[in-house]
Amino acid sequence: MIILPFPCVSNAAVRRALRKELLSALRGSGSPVIVDLSGCPPLNHEDIELLLECMAQVAGRDTQVLFVAGSRVNRVLLEVTRIPSLVPVFNSVKEALAYPKATVETDVKDQSASQAQRPWSA
Amino acid sequence: MELGAFVVVPGGKDFTTIHEVQPHVAAGSKNPRQLVCSRMPIVGNDVLRSWMDRIRKLGVQSLWLTSGRRDGTVTRSELAGFARQGIERLLVIKLNSYAEMDLADLVRFHCESRNPVTEAHDAQGQMGISLLDQLALRASEEKNQLSAAPRDSGQIPYQFSGYAKRILAARERQELVGDALTGACAMRPFGKQIGEQVWIGENVKLDSSVRILGPTYIGARSRIRAGATIGPFASVERDCVVDCGTTVERATVLPRTYLAPGLLIRDAVVDGGYLEHLVWGTVADLHPAGLGSRIPRRSSRRPSSCEVPTEVLPPADSVPAWGFASSSGASQPWLQVQL
Repeated sequence: MIILPFPCVSNAAVRRALRKELLSALRGSGSPVIVDLSGCPPLNHEDIELLLECMAQVAGRDTQVLFVAGSRVNRVLLEVTRIPSLVPVFNSVKEALAYPKATVETDVKDQSASQAQRPWSA
Repeated sequence: MELGAFVVVPGGKDFTTIHEVQPHVAAGSKNPRQLVCSRMPIVGNDVLRSWMDRIRKLGVQSLWLTSGRRDGTVTRSELAGFARQGIERLLVIKLNSYAEMDLADLVRFHCESRNPVTEAHDAQGQMGISLLDQLALRASEEKNQLSAAPRDSGQIPYQFSGYAKRILAARERQELVGDALTGACAMRPFGKQIGEQVWIGENVKLDSSVRILGPTYIGARSRIRAGATIGPFASVERDCVVDCGTTVERATVLPRTYLAPGLLIRDAVVDGGYLEHLVWGTVADLHPAGLGSRIPRRSSRRPSSCEVPTEVLPPADSVPAWGFASSSGASQPWLQVQL
């Protein structure tokens, strides 16, 4: 499991560096990757574009990407953009770390119960 | 006995523009202000107008309007001025609820119970509707706030058991939208019914690929672009644009709001570039993410017959001076509106 922080980005150069770091980490990883938005203030359109790029990067591959919203506002913005319908979104890194484990255990015990473990369930 | 009516619109600096109130929400704030105010339309209806219609049925010729604090509190000294104007009985309505109340029955109860002050209550408590006799109006000069009177004096409240809904909380407001769309209350969407529980206002533009799932309301002059889905339990108020592929479900989009393409607006109230989530109570600013914004007002637009106020009421700086003294807290203008 790899945790990638998604910090507050103040200028274009930093954003380019962040983009490069995130995409290369996603390319090279065979294990699930958590993108942690906890350090990011409310997402702007460039942040959302970068998250979409991250999703595109792992599409069709075995690598799973998970997002940690870090705040209620980010969570609302992610829901509005429909990202949670494609990528699991969690409130905290702790929840995200528990997710694959919970899913595996649930799959073994009872497949139907796995629906209840969806990250967006209330 | 001369009956006067006084309506307080909570939470605005100036009630002539109160429906335009902008939430000033700090980004990421944990305790954001709510977006809605009582002057925002509900499926094209103005709650103030509904109260005005009820007041008119009492035979009252005019009412006084003012804005107040967020909770609609009015100081007694403000009300005392009415006694000096010769008003013998005063109906005070804080515009924080929609209620299908027979005001004549309230007056009848007030007379029979011989209360100087009668407050209307429902299952949730005080409704912000009071009837005061001259005695109470005069006595109020020496006290502070209206809301303290009935509880302190042990007077019998008027118990209202009909339909009522508070409208200052986004969630309750959305419940009222649902009730209006499903016929659970007497309020009806302001527009033409085009399908099962589907209403649209005048000059609405719907792309042919739009999906509308009732119960749903789309207000006058709104545009719904290709691939969008509206409903169920959605209200897109007047002059909005919902861009391509966006879904609005169990949600209200307040007037002059633009929603970007491809969004999912669910369990929310959106006002311009701000969204309040009805389940979490979180207010998010949509502007930085480019997801929504306020559509500038077109100066040439004529108001629909449903909209009351801004044109009926003169601007605050042209309010005729009233002859009674205001309390130190009474900084808001008063407007007399002919019914």
